[in-house]
Amino acid sequence: MKPNLTLLTLACILVFQFGCGAARKSEPISGSLKIESQEASLGEELFMRHCNQCHPGGEAGLAPSLNDKPAPGFAIKFQVRNGIGAMPVFSENQVSGGELDAIVSYLVFLRDHK
Amino acid sequence: MRWNRAKIWVLISLVIAFPACYQVSGYRTVGPIGPVSPIRFVNPGDIVLPEGYLIEAVARGLTCPTGVAFDDSGEIYITEAGYSIGEMSAAPRLLHVSGTGEVTEVASGAENGPWTGVIFHNGFFYVAEGGQLGGGRILRIDRNGVVTPLIDELPSRGDYHTNGPVAGPDGYIYFTIGTYTNSGIVGEDNYKSGWLGKFPELHDIPCQDVVLAGENYTTENFLAPGARGEVETGAFSPFGVRTTKRQAVDGRIPCSGSVLRIGPDGGKAELVAWGFRNPFGMAFSPHGQLFVTENQFEMRGSRPVFGAGDLLWEIEPGRWYGWPDFHGTNPVDVGERYRPPGKGTPRSLLAEYPSRLPPRPAAIFAVHSSTAGFDFSRNPDFGHVGQAFVAAFGNTPTAGKVLAPVGYKIFRVNVQTGVTHDFAVNRGKTNGPASWLSTGGLERPLAARFDPSGAALYVVDFGVLKYGRLGAVPQHGSGVLWRITRKPVLQ
Repeated sequence: MKPNLTLLTLACILVFQFGCGAARKSEPISGSLKIESQEASLGEELFMRHCNQCHPGGEAGLAPSLNDKPAPGFAIKFQVRNGIGAMPVFSENQVSGGELDAIVSYLVFLRDHK
Repeated sequence: MRWNRAKIWVLISLVIAFPACYQVSGYRTVGPIGPVSPIRFVNPGDIVLPEGYLIEAVARGLTCPTGVAFDDSGEIYITEAGYSIGEMSAAPRLLHVSGTGEVTEVASGAENGPWTGVIFHNGFFYVAEGGQLGGGRILRIDRNGVVTPLIDELPSRGDYHTNGPVAGPDGYIYFTIGTYTNSGIVGEDNYKSGWLGKFPELHDIPCQDVVLAGENYTTENFLAPGARGEVETGAFSPFGVRTTKRQAVDGRIPCSGSVLRIGPDGGKAELVAWGFRNPFGMAFSPHGQLFVTENQFEMRGSRPVFGAGDLLWEIEPGRWYGWPDFHGTNPVDVGERYRPPGKGTPRSLLAEYPSRLPPRPAAIFAVHSSTAGFDFSRNPDFGHVGQAFVAAFGNTPTAGKVLAPVGYKIFRVNVQTGVTHDFAVNRGKTNGPASWLSTGGLERPLAARFDPSGAALYVVDFGVLKYGRLGAVPQHGSGVLWRITRKPVLQ
């Protein structure tokens, strides 16, 4: 079997990217988060309602941190809808498609906050 | 050969990356490790606040401080618990704090702590006495230290205690009572924590009549060591007492998991709201609305519940708030969300619910963050008027495991939107108590209250809880009273 070194290297980089990084981005540490879209602002409220208890402020808590993960929107949505590991599934009845879009929009602001 | 080197490199990367970054190996409980100095290192510079705010230590060397109050001259007073988790038992105290941080005793109590909080109202101090040995009490204390119980024998000799108090705009004294158990079933966790062996007859008490589902949980008979056989225990029942389907249990007041009130001169307790687990912090908003923080389910006992974040509630008089079958608006027996890994989904204990199901919480905090005392900003000079500033005691090993430490900070909460922000946190690459981070910052914030001017937020820091094989060991003299103010804006 011929090894695919490129794939292996990419996998390792992804592991480091997803696993590492300074996740402390709250107001005292990184300053106030400027949310400049209504959708992301709604997303912040929805994040607090559905996500914050396990990912407090996007940081690690009961679950891993989210605010330093370069996961694309579709991957976040897949995780929310299917729940992998200890994460519960959030159905359309609990978080609608539009609400999930808003949460992802907020997460992008949070992730880009330095 | 090339493949082997690559494979080894990949494996090494994974071994390094996962434990170091995801903290998989560290799916851990958090508590101070190693020896703790008798005199805690205190350094306000190790605490980070939003731009424009300052923090300083007002008093240190306190033993398990729990509450802060201000008299009509603005003088500062604090309570020391006396009793603490870890079964520490000493005399609870009310202390005056001088401008230089020296403390003098105003009053002390018998070993029936913990004294969980204090207010100053119309010339008297009002203290909530937890009641670990003799039941909870609300005490009125005059300036000379004379203690008068206003109500006693409150049912709080279990896991949680009598908490509060606060004075309402109606002149009543409001207080809370936590539940005996984690989730309605007396079990091994209560035996380990100490109270079941001393008081085997105790159990949770509903505030109103309830009809049980008849769910029972089977455990070893801890009260008869050496005896063979198991016992079944049902909801709202003593250890080893089975319940049946549609069994009725009479409600009574005072009761478990409740918000109650009495007049300023005492009298019979009146029900404000119920269906809480451990309602701890209380404050009235600038608009006169009562809010309460609730420490939610833990991963322990016969009926462990997974992943239930602490809650902030806006209180509607007479309403039921869900315990033992709901977390916020979610029933814990539906789906997998509250099922502990490797265990069954918690079964519903009630056959019928009150006509109105729990409302949506005002805010949801991190699982196991132990959100506690709080207050509302009323002064534009401090900023964020109408928002709540909430102390978070932080997770404990008995509550359940976490990937990273939670709590050990002050939150700012917009109670209209439910959006929470960190307000005061420890400096460093990770969150955690100061003793764990080896810094001089926040250890275990338990209460936050504004002074009468509203210009300064005082934070009561309980101090170091060291965890060993035998459980929690509170460290005498490690408590701190902090003060947060806003820097003057230069014109």
